[in-house]
Amino acid sequence: MVIKSKLTERTFFWQLFVFVSAFLISWPILALVHLSLGYSSNLWAHLFETVLFTYIFNTFTLMVGVGLCAGIIGVWSAWILYKYDMPFKNVLEVLILLPAACPGYLVAYAYTDFFEYAGPFQVILREMMGWNNANDYYFPEIRSLFGGILILSFVLYPYVYLLARTGFLNISDKLTNVARIYNRSEFWSVSLPLSRPAIMVGLSLVCMEVVSDFGTVEYFSLQTLTLGIFNVWIGMNDIGAAAQMSLFTFIFIVMLLYFELKSRGRKSFSTIKVADDYSQTIRASGKKLALNYFLIMIPIFIGFLLPIIILFFNMIESITIQSLKSSILVSGNTFFVAGLGSVLIMITATILGTLNYMLKNRNISLLTNLSAMGYAFPGTMLAIGVIIFVGQMDYFLKNLFSSVFDVLPNIYLSGTLAVLLFAYLVRYLAVGYGSIVSGLQNIPINLNYASRTLGSSMEHTIRKITMPLLIRFVFAGSILVFVDIVKELPMTLLLRPFNFETLATYTYQFAHDELMGQASMPALIIILVSIIPIIFLNRLLVKS
Amino acid sequence: MPKTLLYAFLTIIFTSVNSLSVASELNIYSHRQPFLINPFLEVFTKETGIKTNVLYSTKGLAQRLKAEGENSPADVVLTVDIGRLYIYADMDLLAEIDSNVLDKNIPIHLKSSSNTWFGLSKRSRVIVVSENKVGDGEINRIEDLADPKWKGRICSRPGSHVYNRALMASMIAAHGNAEAEKWARGLVNNLARRPQGNDRAQVKAIFEGQCDIAIINNYYFGKLKFSEDETQREWIKGLRLIFPNQEPNDRGAHINISGGGVAKYSKNKEAAIKLLEFLSEKEAQNLYGEINFEYPVNPKTEPTSELKSWGNFREDKLSIVKIAELGYEAQKIIDKVGW
Repeated sequence: MVIKSKLTERTFFWQLFVFVSAFLISWPILALVHLSLGYSSNLWAHLFETVLFTYIFNTFTLMVGVGLCAGIIGVWSAWILYKYDMPFKNVLEVLILLPAACPGYLVAYAYTDFFEYAGPFQVILREMMGWNNANDYYFPEIRSLFGGILILSFVLYPYVYLLARTGFLNISDKLTNVARIYNRSEFWSVSLPLSRPAIMVGLSLVCMEVVSDFGTVEYFSLQTLTLGIFNVWIGMNDIGAAAQMSLFTFIFIVMLLYFELKSRGRKSFSTIKVADDYSQTIRASGKKLALNYFLIMIPIFIGFLLPIIILFFNMIESITIQSLKSSILVSGNTFFVAGLGSVLIMITATILGTLNYMLKNRNISLLTNLSAMGYAFPGTMLAIGVIIFVGQMDYFLKNLFSSVFDVLPNIYLSGTLAVLLFAYLVRYLAVGYGSIVSGLQNIPINLNYASRTLGSSMEHTIRKITMPLLIRFVFAGSILVFVDIVKELPMTLLLRPFNFETLATYTYQFAHDELMGQASMPALIIILVSIIPIIFLNRLLVKS
Repeated sequence: MPKTLLYAFLTIIFTSVNSLSVASELNIYSHRQPFLINPFLEVFTKETGIKTNVLYSTKGLAQRLKAEGENSPADVVLTVDIGRLYIYADMDLLAEIDSNVLDKNIPIHLKSSSNTWFGLSKRSRVIVVSENKVGDGEINRIEDLADPKWKGRICSRPGSHVYNRALMASMIAAHGNAEAEKWARGLVNNLARRPQGNDRAQVKAIFEGQCDIAIINNYYFGKLKFSEDETQREWIKGLRLIFPNQEPNDRGAHINISGGGVAKYSKNKEAAIKLLEFLSEKEAQNLYGEINFEYPVNPKTEPTSELKSWGNFREDKLSIVKIAELGYEAQKIIDKVGW
């Protein structure tokens, strides 16, 4: 049954609102499309003959590998923490999210230092086994596709974890009870299939992040499409071809998402947890408890503890009072933009998501989905899209002011924090929006129909029905967006105002000069800064 | 009260140095890290009273400058290799400037013919070898690295890194495309491992015994020698530094430059030129060597004594712009041979 609401003035206003905001947010992406149509030195034949297939193969392998690993780790840890009661569970809930706060390239650095031939791990191994040199044994090369998959999986699984867990939390216990009565596995027959939309959103975020990652692949010298984009742009001075390549990866991602949506088809996943549901966590003990601890500690150890231990030891070798002071000053900036950015993004995502869900207008929905796909572009390319957009806005505003008010304003958008926040919106709307959308898919549409039939307005329905059911996903989204902004590098680097540093840019000036000791301290503070909102939001998420 | 707060908030969000441009302040777009450029700017401010603001980024500043157009707040652009400088000139983002000081201080092959960009310091791409494993005089030229006798003994970062791309371009300039490609193929065949890591990592690999020969930028030798990290200081013990192509009839060692120019739409050109001039004078030229082990461009300034202790070297006098112009061809060869 489809209820078509009359196009009242009110809904028209909301349609216009969604359309305009989605359009503005899509503009930088469209600017990149425009850039790709411009001059290019006709490189494709050369790329096709030489490196293109390596790029594609490596990117694809990396994406599938990371998708699989991060998916499995994310779902298993979400399931254990959802289902089982265990001592120190609230600590584990925070720790399991922290790998998301570690910038991938720094983890890559830490691991290379630790696991390469001269690193402590192999040195101890050689001493213990009496091996003399590399010919005596086999040890996997850390700077490799394998190493890339390992590291990216263990810093990216929190996306899947958080959305899967939120999905699990929202499933009605009535359904799980049915599974039990029929003696079927609760996980395989109820929780996993019902959380599929949420898990898939998490996975698609992971895939986009992998495809757009530059730091880690550069450090490992993996010939991926992102690396290729920069070879073409910086090396061959051909930004047109670089834009073409990033569009190519973008379309690739869009196709993947499309196939997932198709395969989901018309299946409905809505389920709702009601107040009289009772909590069903299981108190594990003995072997089961030990196993749970073991499984949950693997991602925490590899993704968080080990890298920070390595970073910590790097740090103490090069710490100075001056650098400590600067890092702390800079963390204020970081907290400010990340806090503001995540609020802005979650508000926008919620408004766009719910209105889209209510309005059901195909064209607007297409545009909104486009605006939430900036995540699939490498950050620097997207930053260039934003720069072009802002430049055009500044020219437009200047002309407007001079023709209407006959004054030449000396105020420009370029180089303001507003631009930086807008850039975060363009890049991370995907994260917030994805979270909201997976929440919306959980809400039975009939609830809205009932509310509307009973005479509630759309706004009222959103406020009273949709929002309360969605709130968990809002919190989950804000956690991810916050840590994403805290560690965001390429856009912040290029778009920030003069003399403005965040922890990520401050870290990078040292990392870029291969001074990993000096880079370690601000990197550790990045993680510290992320802990507070993670604890706070996680509590809201679990309690709500 | 809430209103005041809101206004304060909006002011923070929407103001930047951009809208508050002060005539006495100089806005710099820099590809050079703050901790390397700040010591220069501190001296400059002390001497001239001109305050500076820095925006550092490795990529995309040229695109930002272009998109901002005449609204841009930028006055000066500073970069760390000729490829990037060239891009600014190519996109017509730099002003032509007229300065006797710059003309006098900077040799002709290290600046643009149209007076838009200027080299400010030199770095050389050098060879380091393990003293015990490579005999004195066995490697004299960069060309020697393609000799099959070094099979499995050379380490290098990926070819598409700017430093290697520039080196590749210098090979094209010296020998033409076909010969340069042959050389690159030979070099790749001699690599001990897949090209990976940065310049420091290559030195580390020699230390670990994975290879005996590496190509690095000269200043990494100094940075490792004086590293705060004790283990890094260990790495360079037992290394010999070779400036390649030094025979009297040879072309000299390949160099790259850091440099700068004045933004086309700078509202503060006079101060901008002053900064470039300052950077080309003796005091700053010395600082390049002291802070980052780079060579002065100003012929009247001697390299620091530390740099001299590594040996005298003669540079390839090829007009540096050639390196940028051949970058495209260089990257093509790098893609082809899989460096």
